[in-house]
Amino acid sequence: MAERAPTSGSTKAGAGRVLVAIYGVFALAASARSVVQLATKASEAPVAYGLSAIAALVYIAATLGLAEVGPDPRRLAWAAVGFELVGVLAVGTLTVLDPALFPDATVWSAYGQGYGYLPLVLPFLGLAWLFRTRPAR
Amino acid sequence: MIEPLQTVLIVASLLLAVVAGVYVALDRSPDNALVAMAGLLELGFIAQAGIGIAQVIGGDEVTSAVTYIGYLLAALLVLPLGVLWSLAERSRGATAVVIVAAFTCAFLVVRLVQVHG
Repeated sequence: MAERAPTSGSTKAGAGRVLVAIYGVFALAASARSVVQLATKASEAPVAYGLSAIAALVYIAATLGLAEVGPDPRRLAWAAVGFELVGVLAVGTLTVLDPALFPDATVWSAYGQGYGYLPLVLPFLGLAWLFRTRPAR
Repeated sequence: MIEPLQTVLIVASLLLAVVAGVYVALDRSPDNALVAMAGLLELGFIAQAGIGIAQVIGGDEVTSAVTYIGYLLAALLVLPLGVLWSLAERSRGATAVVIVAAFTCAFLVVRLVQVHG
């Protein structure tokens, strides 16, 4: 518990800064990818590209929440990271069971295989971090 | 496109990650030397973006020009944002942000080479 004292309460302090940085990279990458997909070939695979856009928004929300931007960042972070976990598990499972469902890859395809499974690990880290820094009651 | 420069950028990015890792291990906050190293690397990325965009405009064959230029421009943001985010706090975690930024840079250059095809 000694380690917890300096970081308690803040999701962007200490190890949280690394987490925010990693989420920021994913937010940037997913947004850029999504903009390119929607701008150049939206009709080819609307489901996959729509999903890419949702993933991008989720990563942006998680980054902002963990970086403590906005009126209720902790709730935003819980919601975004929770959605991210559900998303990566659902899309991961669907793409493994039926690869034809998403003709073009998304961040969450095959549990984030294309990104070294980081998209699968990240929500667990995020939830653990939110739990660890939760305000004392 | 500019293989020698890109090889240098990958090696320099990984070197920055290692140096930042030493800082984290020693529990040292980023100092002028580390920031200068990141600044020097950023100059390399600016050169890469300039040359790359000029080559696309000059009619160089790329699989997807939009993606390619997107990667070139995104690579410019990573180090400044990472260093700013890192300097705003003095802690091991904050210093480790430089490692994340440096690895991201190396990864982006690898992707650029792949996208160029």
